[in-house]
Amino acid sequence: MRQAKKLKASYCDIRIGRYRNQNVMVRISPVPGSEKPNEVPVIVDRDSFGFGVRVIVDGAWGFAASSVVTSEEIARITAEAVTVARASATLNSTPVVLAPAKAYKERWTSRFEQNPFDVPIAGKLTLLLDAAREVKAGRKIFGSAGWLRFDSTDKYFASSEGASIQQLIVQTNAVLLANAVDIANRLSRIRNYTPPPLSAGYEYVAAMNWKENALRIREEVVEHLQAPPVKPGRKDLVLLPSNLSLTIHESIGHSTELDRALGFEANRAGTSFLTVDKRGRERVGSGIVSLYGDRITPRGLATAAFDDDGVKTTKFPIVSKGIFVGYQTTREQAHLIGEKESRGCSYADSWSSVPFQRMPNVSLEPGQSETTLVDLIAGVDDGILIDGRGSYSIDQQRYNFQFGGDAFYEIRGGKQRGMLSRVAYQSRTPDFWLSCDGIAGPAYWQLYGLLNDGKGEPPQSNAMSHGCSPARFRQVNVVLTD
Amino acid sequence: MLNRQEAQRIVEKAVKLSTFPEFAISIDWSEATSVRFANNAVTTSGFTVSRSATIACAREGREGRYETDDLTDEGLRAAVRRAEEIAESAHPDPEHMAPLGPQQYADRENWSERTAAARPPRMIREIQAIVDSAGRAKLVAAGFFRAQASCSAIASKAGLFGYCRSTDSGLSTTLRNPQGSSSGWSSRQAVDIAELSGAALGEIAADKCLRWNKPVRLEPGKYTVVLEPAAVAGLLGPLAVPLNARLAEEGRSFLSRKGGGTLLGEKLFSGLVTLRSDPFDRRFPTLLWDTDGLPASPVTWVEKGVVKNLHCTRYWAAKTGKPATAFPRTIVMEGGGARSADLIRSVDRGLLVTRFFYIRVVNPQTVQVTGVTRDGLFLIEKGEVTGPVVNFRFNESPVRMLANVRQLGQAERADGESGTTAVHMIVPSLVVDQFTMSSVSDAV
Repeated sequence: MRQAKKLKASYCDIRIGRYRNQNVMVRISPVPGSEKPNEVPVIVDRDSFGFGVRVIVDGAWGFAASSVVTSEEIARITAEAVTVARASATLNSTPVVLAPAKAYKERWTSRFEQNPFDVPIAGKLTLLLDAAREVKAGRKIFGSAGWLRFDSTDKYFASSEGASIQQLIVQTNAVLLANAVDIANRLSRIRNYTPPPLSAGYEYVAAMNWKENALRIREEVVEHLQAPPVKPGRKDLVLLPSNLSLTIHESIGHSTELDRALGFEANRAGTSFLTVDKRGRERVGSGIVSLYGDRITPRGLATAAFDDDGVKTTKFPIVSKGIFVGYQTTREQAHLIGEKESRGCSYADSWSSVPFQRMPNVSLEPGQSETTLVDLIAGVDDGILIDGRGSYSIDQQRYNFQFGGDAFYEIRGGKQRGMLSRVAYQSRTPDFWLSCDGIAGPAYWQLYGLLNDGKGEPPQSNAMSHGCSPARFRQVNVVLTD
Repeated sequence: MLNRQEAQRIVEKAVKLSTFPEFAISIDWSEATSVRFANNAVTTSGFTVSRSATIACAREGREGRYETDDLTDEGLRAAVRRAEEIAESAHPDPEHMAPLGPQQYADRENWSERTAAARPPRMIREIQAIVDSAGRAKLVAAGFFRAQASCSAIASKAGLFGYCRSTDSGLSTTLRNPQGSSSGWSSRQAVDIAELSGAALGEIAADKCLRWNKPVRLEPGKYTVVLEPAAVAGLLGPLAVPLNARLAEEGRSFLSRKGGGTLLGEKLFSGLVTLRSDPFDRRFPTLLWDTDGLPASPVTWVEKGVVKNLHCTRYWAAKTGKPATAFPRTIVMEGGGARSADLIRSVDRGLLVTRFFYIRVVNPQTVQVTGVTRDGLFLIEKGEVTGPVVNFRFNESPVRMLANVRQLGQAERADGESGTTAVHMIVPSLVVDQFTMSSVSDAV
């Protein structure tokens, strides 16, 4: 702070962070000429520690970072950040304006009971091996794999405005995978069990019902391998939270980022069909569709007490009864749309990355309390129930998308039937959400999430959750994939 | 930046700290400068020094890996201890391969002092030229300029040591009209930052943006397409993983033969298609070894349409009696002599594609991918570009694309989708028949 002040910075902040990541994996693969498959463990532990300094000089941002955390290096890197800012200021005619923020002095820890980094690796490997063996023991199973991932972020933030905040966030994620192969017909299919990734400790791993799910997916992958291809055309869809969460993310989550709407992401991620003039008036969904952004939902992957601008996090409406009403913002963006405070959406994925506007948790409000999943299915004559994530792609303004899934079940005459294969659905964001005519009640609401959402240049990764209940969409274009 | 002697000193220290019979370490060190701009002004820019060590140790097939940023004596000691603790917890890995001993790496270095020394004040001059191009055309510029100097070292207890350093840089820009109804893009990457011209890129992006005015909506369907190099690079990227021997032999790749075996040696693509890896090409950052530490060497994957080689890990090679072959971290597709205008002239009715976006694999086995066109899609009629077209979503496989190649343009280094692809590419423009556009994409 002293160095920044000496070099005439009008604002300075520093983040000092330790980022830990542990991946424990087991893969079971057949070996040519052997009855006994290979059981391959892979364990990678990472620890990254460093700091990043942001300054505003002559109205422009500068940033520099280093992994050598000493007083001398911090002073040197602060001077580098000032050099960067001065260079940027030569091209900029509009100075950065930060919305007011209270200077908090707090510590906060995400909710967990057992820090996964304190749990011995041997136990994690045994758990994965047992589950992967259970899958591999299934009829016609080619291979299996299990994966545990743990992340811990311990970050300290201080600003020239007097903020001093330390936060510890722990996240847990798991996947169990079954692979079936039909060599005669050159077909390979996969079925996953992916519990929602959450801000949680190792206690969550114990609650994942590994055996039950191993037995389930080893049967379902074989059904998927033998499932008939879908007959393409307009169909009604019932999407489970494991699938709908990603659709929410791509179609509504990204289109309501203010930096995209204002052109700041034009060169890579793109812009948004929800331009500023549409706020408060554009219908993007049916009257039962309401979505909100937040960084306060317990267990959410984007949940924190403060964002990387030092702003206290909050909950805010994004779509209200089908109308687009609010953007995700940071301190420097709020004034650009006439708002007085930030929505707390500033985030950097490492000490070495520049904080910028990233997606919070974005969730769909549940439907009427009495609506069940069975009710949604009962209202479909010709449709598909989709579970899990598959391939996903959406255009640079978040209109046209195509999503797959992990398992597809035919719905015929109001009943769920057998599995289908080679399914993807295509739509346009407002058309899709306008076709939503049923959302199951709060009892069905689940918090799914993403660990690796990419944005920015150089690219950064972000994790966030998307809560929803199963929902029904009418007459969506279903395509036959390879 | 870490020099060879300093790198050697660090790795020797780490080797001495290790108590396990097998020990390998790699060090990556980089100094990266970037300037990001949008709405004709700089937004975020920065300078980052990153250094990390990856330590792998093993005893009786039990492996542990640990990555750290802390290269001090204390940091290395803790990292080695942690890697060994992990290994002690692990089960034996039946696919474990011991670290390599001494290897002969090529004496090559693609390095530019200008790139290594580049900082925002120098880089902003090129961005100013782009903003000027935008201003003259009444457009709005966004983009990204990066420059990086990096070095890597690799070593093992068995006597392996390698060191290399390289530079790389890239400049890309998107110019849009203020109404947001038109967009144009251009991009270039180079080892020597002096090869990047903001003025030249700004002119190309402005021209694309101005020409993409009042696009027509065409029906989805199969089209003959002229793919510019960035579009080709985007589609070839997903092909790197499936060119794997194990996947093919296990029946999980497009190169698996129905009923068993592989399609190695078969002609699957147009006779115009030759795909190689060339880690020594002067246009790429230096890559002297592959992920296993084997010396990088040129490999021909496809020659005149025939599949010639598959990449193969050391384990699978030992198991099946094949040579170990490195993963393709570079792809060079041989080009022809035709200029862009010649390719367009050869098309009676088709589409000219600037680039693709959000490319994702739909079916790993057939390598069917989906994505959308972006920043300049034009109709070609009777050998002439006649006007802009509303964007499309496509569902297509690079396997089919390479089978349907009709003509090659001149090859150049090109971005994939994001400019950050791990696979560096030199690819030509292509004329491809029967390319599947599956729906209209209204995005600009």
